[in-house]
Amino acid sequence: MNATEAIRERLCAATGPVRIVGSGSRARHLPARADATALDLSDLREIVRLDHGDQTCTVECGVPLATLDAALREHDLELPCLGGGTAEGTVGGLFACDPFGPGNEGGQSPRSLLLGLDAVLADGTVFKAGARVVKSVAGFDVHKLFVGSQGRLFVAARLHLRLKPRPRAEQWFTNDDLDEAAAFRLLHALRQEPLPLPVLQLRRDSDGSHAVMGRAAGRAGYVTGVVQRHGLHSVSAPTSFHLDPPPRGELLTGLAVPSALPELLRAVPAAATFTWLGGGRFQVALPDPGASDRLLAALPNVPASGVLAVATGERHGRGTPIDPGQARLADALKIALDPDGTLV
Amino acid sequence: MAIERDLTRALGPERVLHTRDALLAWECDGFTVLKSRPRAVVLPESTTEVQAVLRLLHAAAVPFVPRGAGTCLSGGPTAGADAVVVDCSRMRRVLHVSTVDRIATVQPGVVNLDLTAAVSDHDLHYAPDPSSQSVCTIGGNLAENSGGPHCFKYGMTTDHVLAATVVCPDGSLAHLGDPAGPRSPHGLDVLGVFCGSEGTFGIATEITVRLCRNPPEVRTLLASFASMSSACRAVGDIVAAGLVPAALEILDQATIRAVEASVYRAGYPENAAAVLLVELDGPHEVVGEEAAEITAFFRKNGALQSEEATTPDERKRLWKGRKGAFGAMGRIDTDLYVLDGVVPRTRLEEALTKITEIGRRHGVTLSNVFHAGDGNLHPNISFDGRDPDATARTIAAGHEILQLCVELGGSITGEHGVGGEKLDHVPLMFDDDDLEVMARVRRAFDPDGRCNPGKVLPQRHACAEVAKWPQMTAEVLGEGAAEGGQ
Repeated sequence: MNATEAIRERLCAATGPVRIVGSGSRARHLPARADATALDLSDLREIVRLDHGDQTCTVECGVPLATLDAALREHDLELPCLGGGTAEGTVGGLFACDPFGPGNEGGQSPRSLLLGLDAVLADGTVFKAGARVVKSVAGFDVHKLFVGSQGRLFVAARLHLRLKPRPRAEQWFTNDDLDEAAAFRLLHALRQEPLPLPVLQLRRDSDGSHAVMGRAAGRAGYVTGVVQRHGLHSVSAPTSFHLDPPPRGELLTGLAVPSALPELLRAVPAAATFTWLGGGRFQVALPDPGASDRLLAALPNVPASGVLAVATGERHGRGTPIDPGQARLADALKIALDPDGTLV
Repeated sequence: MAIERDLTRALGPERVLHTRDALLAWECDGFTVLKSRPRAVVLPESTTEVQAVLRLLHAAAVPFVPRGAGTCLSGGPTAGADAVVVDCSRMRRVLHVSTVDRIATVQPGVVNLDLTAAVSDHDLHYAPDPSSQSVCTIGGNLAENSGGPHCFKYGMTTDHVLAATVVCPDGSLAHLGDPAGPRSPHGLDVLGVFCGSEGTFGIATEITVRLCRNPPEVRTLLASFASMSSACRAVGDIVAAGLVPAALEILDQATIRAVEASVYRAGYPENAAAVLLVELDGPHEVVGEEAAEITAFFRKNGALQSEEATTPDERKRLWKGRKGAFGAMGRIDTDLYVLDGVVPRTRLEEALTKITEIGRRHGVTLSNVFHAGDGNLHPNISFDGRDPDATARTIAAGHEILQLCVELGGSITGEHGVGGEKLDHVPLMFDDDDLEVMARVRRAFDPDGRCNPGKVLPQRHACAEVAKWPQMTAEVLGEGAAEGGQ
């Protein structure tokens, strides 16, 4: 039985609301509704096709990211949105819960890397969208709707992915204990490099110290040059790019352009930990709900947008105002693809 | 004529065209086989005016077709006789540029190359570069998810669009995406599915795109080969080595000869079976190392000769032939059918061999110019459209070539879109369930089906004029010729 048939069978067997589960990492910050049936897809873990010459692959949704990364390493390839680090979770989960953006400016976002998919609607309809090749504009890009959908529109069984050559050399770095001015100088100097760094991150800790972190990649001579030009401090690859909220705290994720960073940092409470990735995404680990609400209220004036990605109960998903037109279209798409609201 | 009167009241008589002669320029796009004169053409200049137009059309239940410069190659913006064309080419203001954030917000009628010109003083450029970039518009690029030679390294339009203000078919507004990132933190990537929807979901009236820094160094190399297979193998070696040139383009002998006999003459060796054009960009030390590796791959695959542009003028010359290739085809015959299939890059050689066989079998004049790095083929069939037999053989050969692309694991279109041209080819890739899901998504944006009707998704009841090409293809191929999924 292939992945689509397996999912179709499980969906048809389920009654009431269904929640898709991959590695289960989402449950840590968003517990399932009590009335929802868990649809565990972690056993669908076959790498169906790896065409290293074409730099594309097809994987089942439950393939662990570490498994995929190991398979790609054998061919000097990588899935760029992993940032070169080893992430936990599954491939399906990565795209479904996409933290909306690449780790660097101009970098590959999940939208760019998901070429197509085979999927199943909540009513059991099996369909495909996109293609297996790196370029196709045939039909509507329904697969793009999977990115960030949290599995609430349809269930992706197999994903067709674009891969990239693994850089011939790389060096992770962290320059910490910087004051704000020094951190901004380094960040902006690194943004001027002719080859965008695959990962570039600014961090402010709750003690007020700043750090600039990232990954220089490319040819050996170039990487060495970047490290030397900017006085970067080499470190080993991080295991995660994500912040964890403190006990009883919350995590806010959002988007801000580089020019808004100084204003954004002024709006973030001093007691919070803040990171901003070059692709525009930022995270704030906030000490308590009150601090979150104050920051959410301040963000539109920065300007920046954000939502609570880790919070309890109804607070989860609370965010800056969403454009009513976009909200209307998102609702219409949900009704079009899952009219009974089965996927939660 | 009530709707024409209302539109005139909204925009003034100069910007509402509805006399027969005035509409002539809007009867087709770059896919000239498909012709139909629209009911009227309106020329709005702002989001507010587009809203006013679409509200009037909504109230009168009149279909409409968004249009940019009309350079589309698949009949996408060709309207039926009952539809009003909303021509956005007068919406050509660059609204905002942030050099710090490397983004620009533009109206949809801004010409692709004009955007790059507008930001070049800041050492920035807009990366997607369709061959028509001196004419085509950013709005059209968004609608088609346009590519171009440099999308091998820099990606398609979807990789560069961050946000858009969209006027929905009922005249309401939606702000999609976020200038800071490709997807709003609130959830679905609505802009992702809007991009490439071929003007069937609404009209983007303000578009925020990502700008790229100009590379410090650009090198352009050209190698000629005694066989197409050798050129394809060189491409395979370059890609397999992990090199990512800015562009990897191949022209076959028929194209070379057409180019060299035209005003686009670039000095390509006419005895070669294929030339491979490679462009590298980046830091000096990186580009130098990559050029040396690529030259070695040229030698390994038996290149007859190779050259490198050493001045900007030489670089322009090498690109002149590639950019002018489609124009040069006009020397071969009266009409040109530009195909747009995609195959996995590992199957380029096999695909080209089989395409040649198909062309020979159908007795058509074939030439190939294509984005080899992406596996995006452009087999071009030159034919005399006044000759029904030649037209029939062209259609049959084209269908078989696209069928081959799908059989090899590829796609019927890499960058030109389905439009009205490939409706009969869509079922080669997608079955009824796939298409029904797409139709549901379309209805979420356009419940009444008035926004560029009869495009992208095959349907039985397209309006008569726009359906002319599908009817022609159906007659040649027979009912049910295109069946099965990918």
